Amino acid sequence: MSVKTISYEELIPGYEFPPAIYELSASLVSKYLEAVDSAGDGFIPPLAITACVIAAMTGSLSLPSGTIVIHASQELEFFKLVPIGATIECHIGVAQKITRGKMSMLVLEFEVLDKGKEKVQSGRATIALPT
Amino acid sequence: MLTEIQEGKALNPVVKHITQEKINLYAEASGDFNPIHLDESFAATTPLGGTIAHGMLNLAYVSEMMTSAFGQSWLSEGKLRAKFKEPARPGDTLTINGKIDCVEQKDGVSYANCNFECLNQKGETIVTGETIIKLSSDKE
Repeated sequence: MSVKTISYEELIPGYEFPPAIYELSASLVSKYLEAVDSAGDGFIPPLAITACVIAAMTGSLSLPSGTIVIHASQELEFFKLVPIGATIECHIGVAQKITRGKMSMLVLEFEVLDKGKEKVQSGRATIALPT
Repeated sequence: MLTEIQEGKALNPVVKHITQEKINLYAEASGDFNPIHLDESFAATTPLGGTIAHGMLNLAYVSEMMTSAFGQSWLSEGKLRAKFKEPARPGDTLTINGKIDCVEQKDGVSYANCNFECLNQKGETIVTGETIIKLSSDKE
């Protein structure tokens, strides 16, 4: 599946990335648990869902080669558990784009919905891109 | 899980050793392949001087501590606010500490407000933040 990408320069506040759909399969969860060195507890870790949001964002954003992306802050709110095998839909938008000297900051807001369009998670991430 | 929700109560800390292999695995799991996490020769040329762990990997450890303390209450209705202060690097051992700051009631619902910090082996603060967990409701 090819994903249309947008360049950093084209991003403006209010821009919404194309919604991304993920099936939270047992293998995806298992891969995540291995990565975070956790045994798991039978539920989908909410931060595994956040990882899907990040994958959706990074997959849709084209940055100049050699750009460093540094996570500055993160807010998250969880609304419900989702079972393994559930399908989620990630909606990510640009809330703010700030340039201060040689530092650019991007504030992204996101919402994750389940198949029934109920909110699973929401959040706000600030990332810094030193130039 | 915590058997007693009490102000000032410390949460069981989580200790994790960061390796480049774990960072690579997280990149695979999250799809975040920024070279600052993966390309050691590139990262060495940047102001950071070497590869760093994904911020969300550090937060996964925080979430592990919260899950261990609060179980489903955290997983289904938790809130988190975090600031990344310093990068975690391969070779670092991270200790995530947290405690219950206060327990408060709002509209008949009890909430535990916690704070947490993630320190490396030198005592440097990597991440700090707060969490809120819904504990119970009068209606339940």
